[in-house]
Amino acid sequence: MIDKRLFKLEGIISTLIVLVFMTGIQGLAILAQGIFLARAIVDFWQNKLSSETSLNIALFALAFFVRQLLVVIKNKYMAVYADKAVETYRIKLLEKYTEIGSTIIADQGTGNAVTTLGVGLDNVKNYFQLLLIKVFDLSIIPWLILMYILYTKWEQGLFLLLIFPVVIIFFVILGLAAQSKADAEFVNFKNLNNRFVDALRGLPTLKQLGLADQYSDEIYQISEDYRKTTMRTLRIAMTSTFALDFFTTLSIAVVAVFLGFDLLNGVMTLLPALTILILAPEYFLPLRNFSDDYHATLNGKNALTDVLSMIDRPTIKDQDKLTLTTWHNQAQLTLAHVDFSYSEQAVLKDINIQVTGYQKIAVVGESGSGKSTLLNIISGFLLPTGGQINVANQAIPHLAQVDWQKQFFYMPQHPYIFHDTLRENITFYAKNVTDEKIKIATQKAGLTELVNELPEGLDSIVGESGRQVSGGQAQRIALARMLLDDQRKILFFDEPTAHLDIETEYDLKQTMAPILSSHLVFFATHRLHWLDQMDYVLVMRHGKIVEQGEPQQLLADGHSQLNQLRHDLGSV
Amino acid sequence: MNKIKHLLARDQWIVPFLKTQKSGFFWSILLNLLTIVAASALMFVSGYLISRAAQRPDNILLIYVPIVLTRAFGIARPIFRYAQRLVSHNWVLRFVSKSRQRLYESVASTASSIRGRFQTGEVLSLLADDLDQLQNLYLRTLFPLGTGLLVYLFVSVAVGTVNWLFMLWWLVMLTIIMIIVPTMSFLMNRARVHKQKQLQSQLYTDATDAVLGLQDWVLSGRQKDLVAQQGYIMANLARTKNAGMTFGWWRDFVLQILVLILVITTLTCVGWQFKNNHMAVNFIAAFTLAIFPLVDDFIGVNQGVSEASFYEDSIERLNTLPLPETSQIKAEKLNDTTVVLNHVTFKYDNKKIIDEVDLVVHPGEKIALLGRSGSGKTTLLKLIAADIAPLSGSITIGNQPVSKLQHQLSTLVAVLDQQSYLFNTSILNNVRMGNIKATDDQVKLAIKQTGLQPLIDSLPNGYETQMQEAGARFSGGEQQRFALARILLQDAPIVILDEPTVSLDPKTEYDVLTQIFKVLQNRTIIWVTHHLTGIDYVDQAYFLEKGRFVLADTPKNLRKTSAHFQQLLAMDGIN
Repeated sequence: MIDKRLFKLEGIISTLIVLVFMTGIQGLAILAQGIFLARAIVDFWQNKLSSETSLNIALFALAFFVRQLLVVIKNKYMAVYADKAVETYRIKLLEKYTEIGSTIIADQGTGNAVTTLGVGLDNVKNYFQLLLIKVFDLSIIPWLILMYILYTKWEQGLFLLLIFPVVIIFFVILGLAAQSKADAEFVNFKNLNNRFVDALRGLPTLKQLGLADQYSDEIYQISEDYRKTTMRTLRIAMTSTFALDFFTTLSIAVVAVFLGFDLLNGVMTLLPALTILILAPEYFLPLRNFSDDYHATLNGKNALTDVLSMIDRPTIKDQDKLTLTTWHNQAQLTLAHVDFSYSEQAVLKDINIQVTGYQKIAVVGESGSGKSTLLNIISGFLLPTGGQINVANQAIPHLAQVDWQKQFFYMPQHPYIFHDTLRENITFYAKNVTDEKIKIATQKAGLTELVNELPEGLDSIVGESGRQVSGGQAQRIALARMLLDDQRKILFFDEPTAHLDIETEYDLKQTMAPILSSHLVFFATHRLHWLDQMDYVLVMRHGKIVEQGEPQQLLADGHSQLNQLRHDLGSV
Repeated sequence: MNKIKHLLARDQWIVPFLKTQKSGFFWSILLNLLTIVAASALMFVSGYLISRAAQRPDNILLIYVPIVLTRAFGIARPIFRYAQRLVSHNWVLRFVSKSRQRLYESVASTASSIRGRFQTGEVLSLLADDLDQLQNLYLRTLFPLGTGLLVYLFVSVAVGTVNWLFMLWWLVMLTIIMIIVPTMSFLMNRARVHKQKQLQSQLYTDATDAVLGLQDWVLSGRQKDLVAQQGYIMANLARTKNAGMTFGWWRDFVLQILVLILVITTLTCVGWQFKNNHMAVNFIAAFTLAIFPLVDDFIGVNQGVSEASFYEDSIERLNTLPLPETSQIKAEKLNDTTVVLNHVTFKYDNKKIIDEVDLVVHPGEKIALLGRSGSGKTTLLKLIAADIAPLSGSITIGNQPVSKLQHQLSTLVAVLDQQSYLFNTSILNNVRMGNIKATDDQVKLAIKQTGLQPLIDSLPNGYETQMQEAGARFSGGEQQRFALARILLQDAPIVILDEPTVSLDPKTEYDVLTQIFKVLQNRTIIWVTHHLTGIDYVDQAYFLEKGRFVLADTPKNLRKTSAHFQQLLAMDGIN
C-alpha cells in the first residue's frame, strides 16, 4: 500500500511520527464526537435534561471542532513536506538532465522529458500529500472505532471486522475485471480518440481535397462510437465502486437492524446502540476516501517511478580527464580507430582523423552516412564505443570533457530560441556584455533588420508563443551568440542551411564566411557549395570516412569519392 | 462579474446544449438527489428504528416497516449512485459527440487550404482539450449545483414538517451554505485560478526551454542558472496552489462548522418540541443523524463552484470560433482555366505583403515562384486559393473571381504542400480521398503512376496496409508520392505545389520532382520552391522580393542574363 521508496526520503520518519500522532488524536475526537452526540440525544429521548446535557452537547461540539481542525492542519503539514520533497527531486532531475545531456532526451523523447519535469513532479506532489494522509487515516481510525465497538458490543464489532476484508476483496476483484475490460477496449479506445485528432490535424488536406464538409458526419459517428465504447467500459469499471458503496451502506443498515433486535429483546440499552450506529459510518469513511482517490494515487505512483528512474540513471564517468585552457593555433586533436554503435548496430566504423589548429573541415556525405554522428562524437554528445582519442597530447576516453565543452560552439540545423527577449537570447553564452558589443554582434550576424522590425527591438519576446522567428533568423541569432563569446575557438555546424530557401542560404553564407576565420571548424553538410570556404574535407559513406584531403585536389580528380558524391547528390 | 455575465450571454456552447438535452440533465440530477436522499433516509430511519426498538414495543410488527425501510435505503443508495454516474457520463459524452462535430464544422468553415507558417495542429488540439475541460464543468460543477438546488428545496420541505419557524432557520443556513459561501468562494478564488493557470503554462514553457535548449545550457556552463530559474516559477506555482488548497480546506472547515451548528440547533429544537411525546421522541435521533450525509453534497457544490473559473478560458476560446455556415452555391462548369492576377495588393498589419502584382498563368503552363522567407510566396498562394481576399486588384480563374468559385475550388485547384496529411486508414482509402467515386483500378493506377508499385508489392498487406498516425510508417519521399497519387485522382486542372520537397534529402528531392512533373504534364502548375533543383521543368521562374516580382523569365534566359540566378545555380551545384 505504501511505496517502499518513500522511506528513503529525508526527514520522512519524523514527519510520519507527527502524522500518526495527529491522526490518533483525530480518531479519538471522532470517538468522542459519536459518544457525546449519542448521550445528548438520549438525554432528550429520555426527557431527562440537566446541566449534563449541555455539557454533552458542548463536548460533542468540541470533539467535532478538533476533528475538523485536524483535517486542515494535517493537510497543511503534509503540503509543506510534499513541497520540500518535490523540490529535492526537481533539482536532482535537472542536474541529471544537464549531466547526461541530450542522450537522455533522445531516449525519452522531448515530450516525455518535458512532461516528467512539469506534470510529472506535480503528480508526485499530489501523491505524497494525498496518499500518506489517506493511508494513515485508513490504518488508524477504523481500528480505534472498532476497538470501542468491540468493547461495547462484541457481536457488532465482530460483524464490522469481518465485513471489512469482504468489501476490499470485492473492490479489488471487480477493479481487476474493470481493468481487463479497459485493456481489452484500449486499442479501440485509442483509435477512436485519435481519429478525431487525425481529422482535425488533416483539415487543410481535407479542404484541399474538397472533403471538409462531408467529413462532419463522420466526426459525429466516430464520437458516438467513442461514447459507446467508453460506456461499455464504464459500466464495468463503476461496479467496483458500486461494490464498495453497496457493502458499506448495507453493513450500516444491517448493524442498525441487529441493534434494533437487541434493543427489542432488552439485551442492550439505547445509549450504546445509538453510539454504535453513529460510529458505523465513520468506521467505513477512511476506506471510501482512500478508494475515491485510488486512481489519482496510481498516476502519482507512475510519475514517481518515472522521476526516480530518470534520477537513478548512471552518469558519465571521467569527465575531468582533460586539462585545456584555450584551443590554439598549434593544438592537435587525433581520433584513431574510433567506432560507435547504437543498440548493437555499427553506426561509425574505424574513424581516423588528425586535426591541427584553426583548420576548416567539411564533413560531407548523403543523408544517413554518419555526418551528424561524427560531429556528436567530436563534440562529446555521444561516447565512442571503441578507439583512441588524443587532445593536446593527452589521451582521453571520450570527448564529454568539461574543459572541452568550454572550447566550442555548436550550431544545429534548428537552433533553439528561448522564450525570452531577443537580448537574452543573443547574450545566452556571454552575460554582462556591453550594449555596444551586442550592437556590433547583431550587425555582423545580419539581425539589424529583425531588431528594427520588432516593436520593442532587442527587448521583444521571441521564441515559442512569443514572436516566432524564421529558420534563417534563428540561425542568425545563433551566429550572434557565437560572435559575443570570443573565448570559444572551435565551431561545429550541423547542416545549418539545408532547410532554408536558396536566397536566404546565399545571404547567410555571406554573413558566415568571415566568422569562420581563426577558428577550428567542423562543418557537416550535403550542400557542397560550402567547400569553397573549407580547407579540408572528410567524405563519408555508410559510417566510414571513404576519403579525406584538400577539396580542390579531390575535385580535380575525376575518380575521387567526392566527385562520385557530387554525382549521387543529383548535380550533373 | 460583468465579464462572466458577458461570457454567458453570448455563449454558444454550454447553454444551447443544456436546452436541447434537458431530459438527460434532469435524470442525472434527479438520481443524484435520490442518492443523497437515500443516504440521509438510511440514517433517519435507522435512528428512528433503534429509538423505537429501545422503547421495547410489545410486537415486532411495530418496527417492521422501519426495518424494511432501513434495508431498502441501504440498497437504494449505491444503486442510485451507480445509475447516476452512468447517466451523467453518458450525457456528457453525448455532449462531446455533438460539440466535436460542431467544433469541426466551425474550424472547417474558416480553415485555409494553404498552410500558414504558424498555423498548426497545436491550435486545434488546444480546442480539443477545451472540449475535454467542459466535460468536467458538467460533471464537477453543473451536476452538483443542480442537485444542490434540489436538495435545498427538498430539505426545506422536510424540515417544514416540524415547524415553520424552524424551517425558516434552515432556509437561512442553507442559503449561507449553498449560495453565499460558494459565491464568495468563486469570487475569491478567481484571481488565484487565473494566476495558477498562467504559472502553469509558464512552467510548461520553462520546462520546454530547459529540455529543448539543454545543449545550450550545458555548453554555456549555465546549469546553475537553469536550476534557479526553473525553481523560481515552480516555487511560485506551489505557493499559489497551496494558497488555493488552504483556502479550500478552510472553506470546508467553515462548512463543517455550519453543519455543526445545524446539528446542535436541530437537536435542541427537535428535542424541545418532541421530548414530551412518547412516539415523537424517536424522531430526535432520526432528524439529527440525517444531517450528516448532507455534508457530501454541501462540499460538492462548493468545490464545483469554486473550480468553475478554471473553465472560463475554454468557454471563451470556443465561443470566439465562428458559427458554422451551411450555404451551398451550385457549381458552374469552367472551360477556360487561365489564372489571372491583376494589380493585386494585400496588406497585413499595415504592411504591404503583396504589392501590385500582375500574373497570368495559361492552361498547362508551369511556373516556379522563388523568394526569401517573408517575401510573400505563401500569401500569393493563399490569394489564388481564395483563402484570403486581396485589398485591391482582382484574381480570376477563367474570368470568374476566385471568391465566387470557393465551393468548387477543389475541382479546379489541387494542392501538394510540404506536409500533405495522410490519414490513419488504409493506403487505398487514403489515395481514394482524391476522388471518392474512383474505382479500385483507378486508385491502383494512380499509385502505380507515382512509382509506388515496388513499395506496395513489398508490403505484406499490399494496398490494405494501414497508414499510421500522419503516415508515420512511410518515409518522407514515400508520403509525398502517396499525396501525389491522391492529386492525380483529384484531376483538378491547376496544381499548386507549396515546397513539396523541402524536408527531403537532395537525391529523393530530385526523384520526386521528376515524378511530379512527369505525371502532371498536362496541368497548370504553380510551384513554390526553396531550391533550384528541377528548375528546368518550368516554363517561367518568378523571383519575389518584398511583395513584387524582381526577376521573371524562362530558366534558359535567366541563365544567360542574370548573375544572381547563376550564383544560385552554382550553390545548388547545377551547371
